[in-house]
Amino acid sequence: MSRHQYAMVMDLNKCLGCQTCTIACKKLWTDRDGTGYVYWNNVETRPGLGYPRQWDRIGGGWKDGALQPSPLPTMDDYGHAWEYNYEQRLYEGKKQPVMPSPEPKSGCNWDEDVGGMNEDENYFFYLPRICNHCTHPACLEACPRKAIYKRDEDGIVVIDQDRCQGYRYCIKACPYKKIYFNEVTGKSEKCIFCYPRLEKGVVNACAAQCPGRLRFVGLLDDPESPVHKLVLVHKIALPLFPEKGTQPNVFYVPPFNPPKRENYGKSIQENPRVPLDYLIYLFGPEVKDVIVRLEAELKKTQEGGRSEALQLLIGRDAETRYHVRPQLVQIQL
Amino acid sequence: MRTRQLVIVASACFLLSTTWAQTGAKPADGQSLSVAASSASADSLLNGGLAAWSQIAVKHVALNRTPPLYDTDEPATLEISIVDVRLARVSKSLLVQLSWRDPTHDATTLAEVPNTPPETRFRKVQTEADDRFFDAAAVMFPAKSGSGAIAPSLQMGDVEHPVEIYYWNATRGAMVMQAQGRGTTRRTGQSFPANSTYQNGQWNVIFELPDLPAGTTVAFAVWNGSQKDRDGRKYFSVWQVLE
Repeated sequence: MSRHQYAMVMDLNKCLGCQTCTIACKKLWTDRDGTGYVYWNNVETRPGLGYPRQWDRIGGGWKDGALQPSPLPTMDDYGHAWEYNYEQRLYEGKKQPVMPSPEPKSGCNWDEDVGGMNEDENYFFYLPRICNHCTHPACLEACPRKAIYKRDEDGIVVIDQDRCQGYRYCIKACPYKKIYFNEVTGKSEKCIFCYPRLEKGVVNACAAQCPGRLRFVGLLDDPESPVHKLVLVHKIALPLFPEKGTQPNVFYVPPFNPPKRENYGKSIQENPRVPLDYLIYLFGPEVKDVIVRLEAELKKTQEGGRSEALQLLIGRDAETRYHVRPQLVQIQL
Repeated sequence: MRTRQLVIVASACFLLSTTWAQTGAKPADGQSLSVAASSASADSLLNGGLAAWSQIAVKHVALNRTPPLYDTDEPATLEISIVDVRLARVSKSLLVQLSWRDPTHDATTLAEVPNTPPETRFRKVQTEADDRFFDAAAVMFPAKSGSGAIAPSLQMGDVEHPVEIYYWNATRGAMVMQAQGRGTTRRTGQSFPANSTYQNGQWNVIFELPDLPAGTTVAFAVWNGSQKDRDGRKYFSVWQVLE
């Protein structure tokens, strides 16, 4: 356990799937050689393949205190980069249409908005993903080089690029497949939770740029922080795949809107548009309790009352959504 | 079952060699390596092809497979059981040729990274694959030489007995490493002259080492990329003594 723990809450009811977070992260951190396919932050449509595809089904994490096996995702799973034949079309007078090459077969958010069917109604939602900066990181345990460490002052998990030898045991061990191998540097890399920004009191780039204002950032152990309130007080945010055993520190407010067409005015627990089984698959059985709590808060406001939890989730200003206090985590040397 | 037996044999070899390393007993006669005194230049041995080495005696050194290091390791069979070693001493260096059969050629030429900063370029160099590992080989010897010195642990030495590792990778080239025990290997940032050829399913790799005196212990390692070898997942020999 670290002395403090930075955490993030994402309200999936507010995510637009616009990928602004993805681009904010990419421009800031992974616009380098070897990182074309690297998305420290990605947004995927759920239900769907995910990125890399089927990451949630291939393994990793913990079971009974032991690391679980997993293959390495391949570039087929991430999707190969493609280019367009603009030169031929525009400058060489070739008549063929502009086409991508190699033929795209997969990619980041490849199955955008496809979603699934619940009886006769389509449903989908967006799932933004970053490294979970787990309390019990499988990647850290798997690294024979001890290149991965969890910062004692704020719980952020980072890879020491000097120690990393590119063995990729960490990628196999991570059940969220949120570590990427950079073949140019020969080293693995991952989300650093924008710690250089946090150290200056500036919130993570993905959160700062989010037009949907769905991200909340702060210390989980700081009673004043929104993440503390959402996760531990109101208990309406859950980690992804808690059964993987890593104890993630990124939490999600599960999606519960909109209702199915015939259900307007009824409880969202009655034949919901997003099947409960799918939410249980993602967030564990506790999601049922969270839906009940969220509906109770909703009812409170619909009856003219005031819900602290919903006011917090609306998150009108940055002061509400972020509680970045570098002085709280500073180590006195 | 066969894999299990191989693992047990490899484990036994590994433990025996480690035990020997810890006790500092002398290796058996079968573990000595003759070194040819050569009047040829280092350059001709490095770059002169196989013919330059034809007169130098070969020693078939047995390779062992490390036992699975982690619970999640995929099992691996013993596909490379022998490395052929030839040694030649020239004026100021020791040339080592390692040859081994490996039907899978796990090597590539990575795209060249331009000297200009990536942010000034529209196109960046791409990661072509994230799941490939490359063939490699290494020669390890004690960083502190001297006759009668106790050989370091085969597991990358220890604090009292650091080791130097001359590592060659079929894709990333030659690099000098140092270690003081398992998990401590670090790159020094230095390279060394090396040359390699792959023909008819056989690697021939020549290392130019500093001149090591007679009595120095050396050990060899081979990594097979297609078996996802990297780190301690590899083939290794026990310590050999230079004559």
